[in-house]
Amino acid sequence: MDDTVRRREEAPIAAPHVPEPAPSPVPAPSPAPAALTAPAPRRAKSPDTDPGLPHRRWWTPYLFLLPGLVMVVLFSLWPFVNTVILSLTDAQILKGGRFVGLENYGRALGDPDFWTATVNSVVYLAVVVPCLVLLPLALAVLVQRKIPGIGFFRSAFYTPVIASAVVVGLIWQWVLRSDGLVNTVFEKLHLISGPVPFLTDSTMLLVSAMIVTIWKGLGYYMVFYLAALGNVPTSLYEAAALDGAGAVRRFLSITIPSVKPMMLLVGTLSAISALRVFTEIYILGGESGGPGGGARTLPFLIRQVGLGFAGETGYAAAISILLFLLTLVFSLLGHRLSKGDER
Amino acid sequence: MSVTAACGVGGAEGSAAEGQPKRTGKVSGQITFRTLQLKPNFTAYVQGVIDAFEKKYPDVKVTWEDVPGDGYNEKLVADAQAGGLPDVVNLNTDSFQLLGDRGMLADVAELDPKVAKEYVPGAWDQYKLPGKRDGVYAYPWYVTPEILTYNKELFADAGLDVNKPPTSVEQFFDYAERIAGASGGRYTAFMADPKGRLPGDWQKMGVPILNKEKNAFVFDTPKAVEWVQRMKKLYAMGAMPKESLTKADDLAQLYGAGKLVFGPGSPGILKDVKRNSPAAYGKTQVAKAVTGKLGHIGIYTQSLGVRKDTKHPDAAAEFAKWVTNGPNQVAFSKQVTIYPSNAKGLADPYFADQGDGKDPETMARTVGAEELKSAQLDANTPVEWTTQVGDAVVREMQKGIRGEEDATAAVKNAQEAANKILAQQKKRQ
Repeated sequence: MDDTVRRREEAPIAAPHVPEPAPSPVPAPSPAPAALTAPAPRRAKSPDTDPGLPHRRWWTPYLFLLPGLVMVVLFSLWPFVNTVILSLTDAQILKGGRFVGLENYGRALGDPDFWTATVNSVVYLAVVVPCLVLLPLALAVLVQRKIPGIGFFRSAFYTPVIASAVVVGLIWQWVLRSDGLVNTVFEKLHLISGPVPFLTDSTMLLVSAMIVTIWKGLGYYMVFYLAALGNVPTSLYEAAALDGAGAVRRFLSITIPSVKPMMLLVGTLSAISALRVFTEIYILGGESGGPGGGARTLPFLIRQVGLGFAGETGYAAAISILLFLLTLVFSLLGHRLSKGDER
Repeated sequence: MSVTAACGVGGAEGSAAEGQPKRTGKVSGQITFRTLQLKPNFTAYVQGVIDAFEKKYPDVKVTWEDVPGDGYNEKLVADAQAGGLPDVVNLNTDSFQLLGDRGMLADVAELDPKVAKEYVPGAWDQYKLPGKRDGVYAYPWYVTPEILTYNKELFADAGLDVNKPPTSVEQFFDYAERIAGASGGRYTAFMADPKGRLPGDWQKMGVPILNKEKNAFVFDTPKAVEWVQRMKKLYAMGAMPKESLTKADDLAQLYGAGKLVFGPGSPGILKDVKRNSPAAYGKTQVAKAVTGKLGHIGIYTQSLGVRKDTKHPDAAAEFAKWVTNGPNQVAFSKQVTIYPSNAKGLADPYFADQGDGKDPETMARTVGAEELKSAQLDANTPVEWTTQVGDAVVREMQKGIRGEEDATAAVKNAQEAANKILAQQKKRQ
């Protein structure tokens, strides 16, 4: 042990608050950097100076990270890598499969079912995302007011969020089926001559599923906006009011710019959710994805392709990777928009 | 042990006879027995069967494990891959095919040459594997037959004779047309659900499903086109609930509410109708299933397979035979709506007793048991009709029934899609 080290071991007892020199034999160029940099190598590379604590090693912090890291590798990273590997094979549930290169990807790109599902997923996103960015904001502005009983409305709007997607789907199924609530009411009011095929026409089914997704997402994103609105200084509104700005002007000039980062976040999150939609279509339209499978989205197709003992795991994995890439594109788009906003 | 076991399930296709266990004549050892979701409802029954076996063979110890239905096949596959398959295991049609094809199961006909005659012929033959000689790779266990049930009040309301149920698919459609015409939208005839109706309806109409080599679907025939045309007409007339074209999960509910004339095709669901809708149950008439040109129903039994590399083949084979013997299957049938695959069991007076001829459940038992005696495999869904093939055909049928596609085109496209999938499946084998 050299003198420097011995001094450091003794130092805390004599003067615990005095910054110590770095262990490096090279002297620090100035007192200020020495004072800033000295403690870091001391904690990282030498035994702790507190005699009451066990010795620390450089890898101690990593030890704390290890459990989480193991979980991430096991349950996120490895499945992803495995999916990529699978997508390059003709694997089935019980057959490891042979390496087929990019054959599955080529097949997907030439498969009309894949393109129908992709178009459905993108249309779903294009309709659902703007609604989920704007409607919850409007809702949040309404329930933000501190008036008696507003807590009830906030809870009511949030209820669909905590209800399971299956329960929500079943409720809407009874609302939208040929002899369901909506059709019965419309028929009683003589607004329609025959039932509207909400669930038995592919396009209508997709629209019905979108309505359910939006209805279920309203309360969820409303809470996001409530948090954002809570951070907008009321003095801004007061000043604007004094300047004669009306409610609409205040909303456009103060509220919207203040919650814009949250709008981008909601947009990104809802886009990712929209690309993953499955349950609504499955519950409302059955396991074929509507008549003729016309309302199938990409996750729906992945399930259908890979299901059962004869299911094509490799092909399903390839479609999963394509869905991942699509999601990545929209996520990066959201990221780019938010960066642009910051600038 | 052959390479089969070492390779897990991945190897040794077509080599079922290799590594066949040899009987020693000494029934002893510790064996494991896996069932599918029988606990806790049937714990007493199964444990009773095990206890009686252990009493008969004191040198045998049976360890029973019961696995939930969800993901049962996946667990079986995982165990098979890890070499941890139980000595005696409950298999359904899918898992039997999967393990049998890959040479994981013992040939029970070889282990037990005299046992064949104890089972209903259709049931015993179900466990033969194509291309694997006369081997039989599982003991047939309990079975659920197909029956016809209908609401006799609505049947009569539509001007139909309650005592003359339909016997062919074409007649069934004729009746449905009468029902749709008479109901005025108050009730419907049957669930559209092409997935549940095909390929059964086609087989009953005499439509061939596969060629002789079983390497191509050949159902594109005028009869299949006729099926689509008739379904389309009936759907447009309102003979079926609109949503049943894509979903068929509320049959018992609709039938129970008196909105459907033809009810459950399985005796088991009658129990639900009895419990939840006593009024509809009281109006239920039971008849033989529509069998059309086939003249008999198919047979889908649960089975007990014996692991090929079991260390105790005598104990495992004797135990599987014990669980599936006549008295034990009859005792099981008295606890739940199932039927024995065992010929002696099926001949039990319990299955011939019609009571006063009025209780639907009792009638279902006698009708179902009678039908099982002549059940044949040619009425079963062929193994080539996989989930993916079924899905593809159903999608085309839905388009045809809704009128989005011409009936001829729908059948043609369905066959093309099915053959494409079949070719891919063959290519991967």
